[in-house]
This record gives sequence, C-alpha cells and structure tokens, in this order.
Amino acid sequence: MNTETNQSIHRVAEIIIDELILEDVTPETFDPDLDLVDEVGVDSMDLATVALVLRDEFGVRIDEDDYPKLTTVRIIAQYLDDKRNDSE
Amino acid sequence: MAASKEEYKFSDILAYPEIKERWQKVRRYFFLRESTYDMSNRCNIRCQGCYYYVGDKQFAPENRDEQAWRNLLLSEKERGITFVVLAGAEPSLVANLCRACHEIIPLGAIATNGLIAIPADIDYRIHISVWGNDRTSEQIRGASDMLGRQIANYRDDPRAVFIYTFTPDNIDEAREVTATLADCGQTISFNMFSAPTGYQGPLRHTADSLKKTREVMGELLADYPGTVLFSAYNIVAHTESQGLHDLFSCSYPRRNQSTDIGLGRSFRQYRTDLQWDREAACCVPDTDCDDCRHYAAGSAVVTSRMYRHAIDPETFSAWLDYVDTYLAVWVRGYEKGRNLCNTYINPPVNK
Repeated sequence: MNTETNQSIHRVAEIIIDELILEDVTPETFDPDLDLVDEVGVDSMDLATVALVLRDEFGVRIDEDDYPKLTTVRIIAQYLDDKRNDSE
Repeated sequence: MAASKEEYKFSDILAYPEIKERWQKVRRYFFLRESTYDMSNRCNIRCQGCYYYVGDKQFAPENRDEQAWRNLLLSEKERGITFVVLAGAEPSLVANLCRACHEIIPLGAIATNGLIAIPADIDYRIHISVWGNDRTSEQIRGASDMLGRQIANYRDDPRAVFIYTFTPDNIDEAREVTATLADCGQTISFNMFSAPTGYQGPLRHTADSLKKTREVMGELLADYPGTVLFSAYNIVAHTESQGLHDLFSCSYPRRNQSTDIGLGRSFRQYRTDLQWDREAACCVPDTDCDDCRHYAAGSAVVTSRMYRHAIDPETFSAWLDYVDTYLAVWVRGYEKGRNLCNTYINPPVNK
C-alpha cells in the first residue's frame, strides 16, 4: 500500500465520518475494509453526498454507475487515486 | 476524468445561503426507504387506463389477515424500510389493514380515490386521485359528483393532498378543479397519465398534449402558489418528450439490475397475497416504462440523481425544489418552501 493511497484512505474516512455524522469512530479507527452498505448503513443518497464532497476534495468525478462498486473506504480511495493518475 | 474547470464545486453551490438552508432541510429525510403494497384487489369504481387492472397482480388473492400484515411490516422494518405506500386497488376498502401497517411503520402515504373516508387515526399522507372535472370523472371513472364527495370526506384534513392526473383530454379542466380546491383550502399536486403496458386508448400523451400540459401547469403554479405543490423543475421533468427513464435512468428494480445499493437493493412492491417479484418491482407496476411520467416514479427517480444536478447553483436549486415538493406531497407534516428556481432548465445528462 503506497503512501498516496494511505493518505486517501484517511481523508475518505474523515469525509464519510463528517458527512454522515458517524459517532464513536475516527479516521484512525475506521476499518477501511468495512462494507459501507451492509456494515455502516450507507445508502445511495449518503453515497451521492459523499461523492460530491470527494469531487471537491480530489477533483475527480464519480460516475453514478460506479456507486455500486464503491463498497469500502479502501475501494473508494483506490478509485480516486486511479482516476487522478489516469488524468495526469 | 477530472471535474471540468467551469463546473462549480459543491461547496461553492452551498455557499448560497438559501441553497444551503434548503439542502439542510431536505437531507434530513434521506433516511426514507420506501416500499409499496397493494392492499386489496377490489375497487369501488373502475377507471379507464387504471394500471392496477393490467397484468397479473390483479389476480393475486387477498390476504385479509391483520396479523399477517403486521408480520410483513415488522419484517419490512427489520430490513430497513421506513416509508410505506399503500395503493392498489383501493386501500380505503381495507382500513383495518392500513391501520395495522401504520401501527408498525408510522411514515407513509395512501393512494385512494377518496370516495370512502379513511379513519383519522391512520395518520399517513392521503393522495386523492382526480382525473378531471365531474363530467369527465363520470365518463372515465363511472362515478358522479366525485370532487364534491372527495372534498367532503377530507375537508380540513391535513393528511389530504389531491393528485390531478393530466390526460390529453382534461388539461383545461385542471383550472376549475384547482380553483375549487383553493376555495376549500386544499392542496393539489400533479401527475401525468402514463400508459399501462399494451394500452392503446386515447389517454396516452402526445407532443401537443405535453406542451399544453406544461403551459397549464405553469399557469396554475403561478396563480395558486399556496395551493399547488409543484415547481418549475417538476413541470420540466414530467412534460418532456422523453419519459423519466430516458431522462434520469430509472432506479427501480424493474429497470435497475443492481442489488448493491439504493432502490435496486431495498425496494419491493408487494401484491395482495404479500408476495413480490423483482422483475416487476416498481412503484407503478405494468406501466409502459417508455411512457412513464408518473409522479410517484419521479419522486424517487429524480431525487436519486442528486449528483448530476450539483453542477451549478441554478440546476441544484431546481433539484432542491423537486425534492422539497416530493417531501411536501409524501410526508405528513413536511412544509414546502418557496421555490428557488422558477425557470425551466434542461435536465442534466449523466456525464
């Protein structure tokens, strides 16, 4: 796992915690492999909200058709890094 | 692909105080997860073009066991459903079953023809269907003095909202119906006739009727702002030449293969035998998807496309108006705010 992805994981976790007002968890303690839908209770409108904040932060558009694939913080972070690298 | 430079950041859009306030108002309701339930296979009237009496669902036997309904609703609650829509064919014929649902899941709406009053303790939003003036109702629905009877049943009832379904033949009649409801202190919202599968009758909209409907909706929204629960973007979304699926990509299971998240995962449409079929599951089963402009479908389908509308303040305001309208029409106690965008904007495409 490279440093870039680790930083992205931390930031994605931070945004999810802030936007969805998750309690009793910090970016440091958030398990990046938790299933966001099954284990955190995220739904499509939550994910769309998070996607908009991530778009601001990372400058990356998240295709609506990709939502179902974005099941964990780690997968989201990797998705964002890949998109950023593709555009460079 | 990186976000284009001319595109607004979401934070820039929310920097507008009115937009931020409205966003914070509507997002509190993102917890709503709906499913729909056919309550009875009977109806006290028979309307031309009724979606219920098309396809197999009309032949499902009725389950009239209150405890079976309670058990179903408990299991629905368990899997995260927070909002129920009680529909087909006529729920007021089985008020005891509606009450059983309300006791388990307290948020919801009932679609009724309004000719039988639903008891006040069933505190759901009540959608009363109107298909024109009394003369037209008598022709299409076979019921006389319909609007007067509907108003009498729901006078001063805060649960009630009248849903006027526009067909090519009743567009002008919306004026007199809206004026009557305004005089009585009622509220009205608009629906579009959406052809059932295989329907070949005269109620299917044409390019001309869509254009005329748009004009009359706009006129009524301007003339009766306290009575009409609608917005400019509602008008656009429901009167374009393309249907909702083509414009926004329908997210109901019938048109959405994904079971990972959203409606494709959670939505079910139960028949009167308490069974459901993923292949048929949407809010108005057996509607021709290419012709679907149904208000219930739009409430979910347009709302779910938040991301694509967050491209500039005007487009996001239009989306907020749509969501604000949907919540006012469907959720008891939710008060609609002033519309933020009063121009007709084009629905954004998914980039």
